[in-house]
Amino acid sequence: MPNKNGNVYGLTILSPIIDDDKATPSHDLQIRRYLATLPTGERSPFALAPGTHLARLVVMDDVIYVGMPACEEHLESKYLVFESNCDGELDNYLNGLAASVSEQLDAIWSHCVGYPGAANRQAFIDYMKACQIETTFFFAAVNDKSVSETLRALQTQHAVADFIASHQGMDPARLQAEFAQFVAELRSAPVPKAGSMGQPRDIKTGGRNE
Amino acid sequence: MSKLNETDIQGFVLRGYNLPLARYLFLHFEDASRARTLIGQLLHHVTTGQRWDGGKPQSTVNIAFTHQGLAALELPDATLLSFPVEFQQGMKKRAGILGDTGLNSPERWDEPWREDRVHAWLGINAQSPAALDSRCAEILGLLQATGGAVMLPSQDAAAVVIDGKPTTREHFGFTDGFGNPDYLGVDRSAQPGQGKLMPDGTWAPLATGELLLGYADEAGELPVVPVPHILASNGTFMVYRKLHQNLATFRAYLNEHAPLYGGGREKLAAKFIGRWRDGTPLELSPDNPDLSIAHDPKRSTNFTYGADSEGTRCPIGAHIRRVHPRDAFGFNGRLINRRRITRRGLPYGQFVAEGEPVSDTEERGVIFMALNASISRQFEFVQQQWIEYGNDAHLGNDKDVLMGNHGGHGKFVVQGDASAMNPPFICSKLPNFVELRGGDYFFLPSITALGMIAMDLVDPR
Repeated sequence: MPNKNGNVYGLTILSPIIDDDKATPSHDLQIRRYLATLPTGERSPFALAPGTHLARLVVMDDVIYVGMPACEEHLESKYLVFESNCDGELDNYLNGLAASVSEQLDAIWSHCVGYPGAANRQAFIDYMKACQIETTFFFAAVNDKSVSETLRALQTQHAVADFIASHQGMDPARLQAEFAQFVAELRSAPVPKAGSMGQPRDIKTGGRNE
Repeated sequence: MSKLNETDIQGFVLRGYNLPLARYLFLHFEDASRARTLIGQLLHHVTTGQRWDGGKPQSTVNIAFTHQGLAALELPDATLLSFPVEFQQGMKKRAGILGDTGLNSPERWDEPWREDRVHAWLGINAQSPAALDSRCAEILGLLQATGGAVMLPSQDAAAVVIDGKPTTREHFGFTDGFGNPDYLGVDRSAQPGQGKLMPDGTWAPLATGELLLGYADEAGELPVVPVPHILASNGTFMVYRKLHQNLATFRAYLNEHAPLYGGGREKLAAKFIGRWRDGTPLELSPDNPDLSIAHDPKRSTNFTYGADSEGTRCPIGAHIRRVHPRDAFGFNGRLINRRRITRRGLPYGQFVAEGEPVSDTEERGVIFMALNASISRQFEFVQQQWIEYGNDAHLGNDKDVLMGNHGGHGKFVVQGDASAMNPPFICSKLPNFVELRGGDYFFLPSITALGMIAMDLVDPR
């Protein structure tokens, strides 16, 4: 099961982009333009839909010819590359995307060959699976936990650290009472929204280190 | 490898001089030709790496250039453009990558660093104030005679004097200067724990190319160097950072939090850095300082963290464990051997003993200088990942407790055990104990390269 590592799924999808001389701008440019406007953080489609640890969308134009002695080769098409490290079973994940962010999916994939639209749920899942290639190797530093487990763990870590910091040295009886209340409050607190735990980051600066 | 040519390498690169006084002069070149004449004359003063068989000199002189300085010297464009990107940009433009934001941001730096006026650094170290003054006067004479450079405000630094004796302490009271690595071919009284950890648990010198340009590094690669290669060989890059210490804030924070910590004030201070104030490593003596360890070169740096993976002796976020994790990341230390730097520098400002009135606004801190073959791979990585971030140590977003740019929101976890004297503890709302007041990236050339620059013979072809 090279696509799965524990409970985390490594998904790679290559969808051929429509090659139409009459389209202005061309379909690949329309995808790029739309992707550049996608929100990050809590409003990202991958935060709105369940189950995504990390996702990446890339327009791949062609393989790059580096000159002799390499031989010159070309792809038959431009491709939209979708990579995602996500939870659980693939059908569930794709279903969740289609149910939560169909508008965004359609805006992106409608530029791809043969895309049936997210409204037709089974056709959407079949299409995505037809475009899937084996991931073979991926790394998600999530300790085999689901997205909601990870968010809950981060919430707990922050809350416990803050609790300790503000209660160190307190009289034991009062500490116990406050701890009981703290645990009760933490247990009933909702799981934080995906994308809400990190610092806000502009789409252009993600991972930049140069 | 064969022996290094110590007569071609600036002495500042090969050894810490252990001289108690320093003055760092900063030069601005106005005319390339006159500046080259000045460098030609300074060349006779530059201290090389030759052994001091006749005893320490009264003073030393070393020189380094910013990229703007090399441009002002009119090195060929093809050479200037071949330097690594981070050196071309200079430290100010790297502020985002380094986390030099907020209280540490360039607009808050001292005057000479806010503008791009610094072209060269002249480091003068000396035994006595008289030796320092006379050496500086000599150099000033050369400046005036040649008209080669304008002097910008200089920076004095000196070993902290306690009870009339110069010490290796910094202003927070910790003994400093244990961590410098050994390198292959560099003649130095090596001690276990200062090089790289070998699979059998012994320590060996790091590859020469981690310090000097023109030699293979730990990956067997040659570091990125400018053309021509002879300009780079036997040179290195230097990071200069003026680190202001908020001593009043540091002491107040300790005073406020120590009463809540079962291990007491001195132990809490030791947990911050990973050493007791006298230098005793917590890893070797977690319960009390032990001068017999701190003063024993066979033991003072000879430890690993493998048996302390929970951090109950030395906290996982302690300063020395962050910046030199030794075996803590596994893989026989391979993940850290290309992230080592060599530190130089001295404190500046008046030492104030515990209990005496002190203010954060007084000029006081450390002149931090780091030498490395690749600023981006070595210094910048350590600063970005290990000082201003905690992921490699499984500490999330936590920053280095002492050095971190916390802005009042920092957190530091002291791991502990069930004993009353070593309880777990959390320090929160961390302020900036240290603030950056300026600095830049410098190229520290070989003697050969200095001659080429002075004679205008740098030819990239």
